Amino acid sequence: MLALQLLVNGLVTGSALGLVAISFSLIYSTTKIFHVAHAGVYTMAGYVAWSLASRGMPDVVTLVVTVAACMAMGALIQHQLYARLERRRATPLVVLIASLGALAVMQNVIAAIYSPNILQFPVPWGSQMVVLGGVRLTWTQILTVLASLAAYGATVWFFHRTILGKQIRAVASNPFLAEITRLHPQRVYIIVVGIGSAIVALPGILVPLDLGLQPYSGITPLLTATIAMIAGGIGSITGSFVIAVGIAVLQNLSLLVIPGEWSIGITFFIFVIFMLFRPTGLFAAAR
Amino acid sequence: MDFLFSYIALAEVYVLLGLSTNLLVGIAGIFSVSQAAVFGVGAYIVAQLLMTETMGFVPAMLVASLVCIALNVLVTLPSLRVSGDYFVVTSFGIQLLATAVFINWTQGTGGANGLPGIPPPDLFGVMLETNAQLVMLTTVSVGLGCLAFWLIMRAPFGRLLRAIREDELAVAAVGKGVLQAKVSAAALAGAFAGSAGGLYATFLSFIDPVSFDLDASILLLTMVVVGGARTLAGSIIGPFLLLALPQVLTFIDIPTTIAASARQLIYGVLLIVFMLFRPQGLAGEKL
Amino acid sequence: MFRSIRFGLVLAAACFLTLGSVTAETIRLGAILPLTGPGGLIGTQQQKGIQFALDHINAKGGVRGNKIEVVFEDNQAKPDQSILSFNKLVDLQSLPIIFTAYSGPSLAMAPLATRKKVLLVNAGAQADALAKASPYLINTLPTIGDEIAVLSRWLVKNGKKNAAILFENSAAGISGRDNYITHFKAAGGTIIAQEPTQFGQTDFRPALLKLAASKPEVMLVSITAAPQQMAQQYKQLDLTFAVAGTTFFQDPALIADPAAEGFLHTQLQSQSPPALAAEFKQKYNAEMEFFVRQYYNASNILFTALDKVLEEKKPITGENVRDAILKIKRFSGLVPVVFNSNTASVPFDLNVIRGGHDVLLEELKVQ
Repeated sequence: MLALQLLVNGLVTGSALGLVAISFSLIYSTTKIFHVAHAGVYTMAGYVAWSLASRGMPDVVTLVVTVAACMAMGALIQHQLYARLERRRATPLVVLIASLGALAVMQNVIAAIYSPNILQFPVPWGSQMVVLGGVRLTWTQILTVLASLAAYGATVWFFHRTILGKQIRAVASNPFLAEITRLHPQRVYIIVVGIGSAIVALPGILVPLDLGLQPYSGITPLLTATIAMIAGGIGSITGSFVIAVGIAVLQNLSLLVIPGEWSIGITFFIFVIFMLFRPTGLFAAAR
Repeated sequence: MDFLFSYIALAEVYVLLGLSTNLLVGIAGIFSVSQAAVFGVGAYIVAQLLMTETMGFVPAMLVASLVCIALNVLVTLPSLRVSGDYFVVTSFGIQLLATAVFINWTQGTGGANGLPGIPPPDLFGVMLETNAQLVMLTTVSVGLGCLAFWLIMRAPFGRLLRAIREDELAVAAVGKGVLQAKVSAAALAGAFAGSAGGLYATFLSFIDPVSFDLDASILLLTMVVVGGARTLAGSIIGPFLLLALPQVLTFIDIPTTIAASARQLIYGVLLIVFMLFRPQGLAGEKL
Repeated sequence: MFRSIRFGLVLAAACFLTLGSVTAETIRLGAILPLTGPGGLIGTQQQKGIQFALDHINAKGGVRGNKIEVVFEDNQAKPDQSILSFNKLVDLQSLPIIFTAYSGPSLAMAPLATRKKVLLVNAGAQADALAKASPYLINTLPTIGDEIAVLSRWLVKNGKKNAAILFENSAAGISGRDNYITHFKAAGGTIIAQEPTQFGQTDFRPALLKLAASKPEVMLVSITAAPQQMAQQYKQLDLTFAVAGTTFFQDPALIADPAAEGFLHTQLQSQSPPALAAEFKQKYNAEMEFFVRQYYNASNILFTALDKVLEEKKPITGENVRDAILKIKRFSGLVPVVFNSNTASVPFDLNVIRGGHDVLLEELKVQ
């Protein structure tokens, strides 16, 4: 009973984490940039949505505007920061540090405007309970799973069935060749970061809707998602998603056997060991 | 006067950390956001040894340095097996794992409560209790550290490290031990960080996990980036400048509710601006 | 001859008046509080409490004609920042008295306070270690141990013998947990499970589920952040055991939330008379919350002590003010306190949250 509830909770957190992993994986496999500032976009989504919802905007409008805002922010960072650094032939270390800087800026602007306190979404239907086969879930949790699966499906479809998606994958696998064949890698990068930012807006809204909003809590999910991305194999959308869900379920179920405070520590510990022995991941796509 | 002394002493501790980070990140090119974790280990070891009266200050520092050397080597081993970006995540993971241990391993670290009442350092039987005496200790330590750093950079070992930074393959092709060089650099960085930890613990007489978390690692990175990568001058300028920043800010009339966010914001902006326009920092070489 | 006598008298009177009068100076105090960062919410309340007290005392002309001024420093609840600020206030500005908050920073500064004979006034932190940390640290509220001892006895007496502990992995949370274990057992109860959560984390479901699996009669809570989220998730999981906590449950968002119905908690007696609360609201556009009241009260305790020190014509030093506080012992004010030691005894009640309000259940006596 307890195990079942923990499992279901793990599936919920895991599917949100899965979207973070997919979006980050898309950006990383295409641009090769470790876009830490992604955690900032994730955080921003929650606050933009909260601001709109608090002003009485209809939920659909809130969703659309938030996704659009995140898309714009992601594209902005790519266009104004990363592209410039690329033109100056910056090393990956430099780009990473710049991304860290962008993250710090975003988190602290948010904290300055909204205060560092935990904020609650004014959405009453979200916390109503549903009981399914002995397991208790809120509507928000159910929505999280459904939205994540939908977004995952849409992403896979987009990248394997549409022309733009295929172009992006082409650029990802070989930017040099893509440049020659006039696929404009820089433009593709902006599109991909935009798409990735749009995707991450979903868990960015849904998780705080469930648990409350804070400015500094974006980095841990991002790092866990990165672990999922690497373990799932860079370039594999399905791999990232599945492993992310797996990690969340594992963290929840592990409570049955180990004290709670170690569950996050154990995840990173396993990851470090993993890196020593199988760094290419479990579902490695052909690179 | 005491205030000036405490500022100088603290800045000097961070200079040692700057030297450590510069060795690891700037010179050996091993991206690490886990230096604060090693710093913490050094601090906790010296604190526990002094509090349980197991040994005096100097032997405790030696023990801490040795442990941190071993730790740093262990921690950078994954980087030597996997390339660049994989290690970034591993480094984040190590830092978060270390924070989890600091907070949860109550017997060893006092947990979230920290370790209060750390005795002052003793040197040849003399207790160093006043700020003036402590500053002398830190200044001497920093002097030794800088001398060591300078000598290393001048020695063939230093040239080897630089060469590895420029072109690792070429160095390997010539038959020089790339692995050994990197491991040695990591070991040295560990010694610096561990000593810094011991000085920090005895100077503040109280340590807790908050001083050794991810934010601290990012601050270290910022110090190195702003001060200047890979140089001695940079390792000194960065910490002094960045520790002075909060004090300078208090003279400007920022509403106190946003002062800390403002400070973090400035760090973030500094990172971005420096990476865009002066990646070598104020006194460094190109990163 | 009369002329010279009169002249002499006038001269003497003039001398007497000039020498005997207290030259009105400003008395400056310090405050090192978390004005930003995760502790910022509480720190700014504390700051407002001090500010409010200053408004009142200075409107009356200060303490014996001396205006009071407070220099605020932000430490983000970090110990190393606190030490830098402490040195700055004491060495650069020679301040003899400093307000402090949060257990970690207070414990860090305590040894320094002893060394430099600076009085530290804590009106918010409750970790047990604070009681003995320094002879120069005055706590105007009891450490958490007293509240928990009394709470435990009450719970066991009322039939709740098996308890599970939910605690925050922070200095305050762990102190609470340790106290629950000691006192609940001493009262005759049993602790059957305990689960930690991280400070700032808002997903309590796994911890709640795990505690629920051990089937406790009551859950003892020691968290300082996100109590409302905890309550909501407790309700969502349809848990039915009793929930008990300490003064940290006095969170307006929690009290107003229907999920917290029936939650028990100890509450340090502290109420603001409506007129005062209204005045505060008008000036600062906020409710006069717990920490506002605590630091308002502490400020007034300090002013009373300063008054006594000046009355005895002693210089204002940390040592003298501290001695004055301990000698005066009983302070009636917003929160009546008694100093039998460095740490105040304050009566507290057992409250229950009903219908969106915090309601008095029983007045408790500290043994």
